[in-house]
Amino acid sequence: MADTGIGAVRMQIGVISCSGEEILGGTLTRMATRKVMEELRPGQAISLCLPLFIAGGEEERNFARDYPVISVDACERNCAKKSIEKYSGQVREFIILTDFLERDVIFSKTVSMKELTKEHYRMADKIAEEICKKIDAIAAGQ
Amino acid sequence: MSKIKVVPCSGIGKVFGLLSREAGLKVTKELCPELCEAVCLARVMTVDDDAKESIEGKTCIAVDGCPKMCAAKTLEAAGGVVKAKFRAVDTMRLHRGEDAGTGTFLTDAGWNMSGELAEQVSEKVKELAKEEA
Repeated sequence: MADTGIGAVRMQIGVISCSGEEILGGTLTRMATRKVMEELRPGQAISLCLPLFIAGGEEERNFARDYPVISVDACERNCAKKSIEKYSGQVREFIILTDFLERDVIFSKTVSMKELTKEHYRMADKIAEEICKKIDAIAAGQ
Repeated sequence: MSKIKVVPCSGIGKVFGLLSREAGLKVTKELCPELCEAVCLARVMTVDDDAKESIEGKTCIAVDGCPKMCAAKTLEAAGGVVKAKFRAVDTMRLHRGEDAGTGTFLTDAGWNMSGELAEQVSEKVKELAKEEA
């Protein structure tokens, strides 16, 4: 298993969220990805910017070609996953919120950060935990 | 007449993306929901059929975070008629020295900047809606 302690070399792992603007699920994917990158797996989780990736960002695309990537999508359209597969190859793992959150929550029209409740933050934390499980599993098999 | 599409980039890496996202949402949800609507940029990017249909040949406003202009480029590539392009970084330049926040949260100053950007976008929405009426 990869040692994630201080001083150890940790495999960098990309996380790309759909960040969809039409539904709450998009906001939650974004919040969870940021939490993983900033607080839970800093230095190990690298967030990839989906708009930049699609618009031709070489740095993002090269990273996704060279390192494992986890896609985090709100719905079954799997926009983040499809984007990686189109331009850089297979994702190593993927998360779809519909697998563990209620659909009426995910498709809620509450999208702005200023409308969010504590319950929404708890949901984002849960998604972040799922992302971390995937990161740890990938790192363990590196 | 279909609603004008207001599409922010929502870039995740820096505060610019969050500023653009919140500005776009304010316009579509609060300032002029009767004239415009949001479309998931990721759906447009992946050429989802429904999303493409809602963009192709339609009047769009891109609300980008940074000079890379990913939303504008993507909308144009999807056949959208991009009649206005905004950048959060331009709004930030008017507030040099102020801390807007990060890609995770906006400070009060950041919310103000986002609100200013939203006002500019909403004025454009109204102008375009009048032209198209």
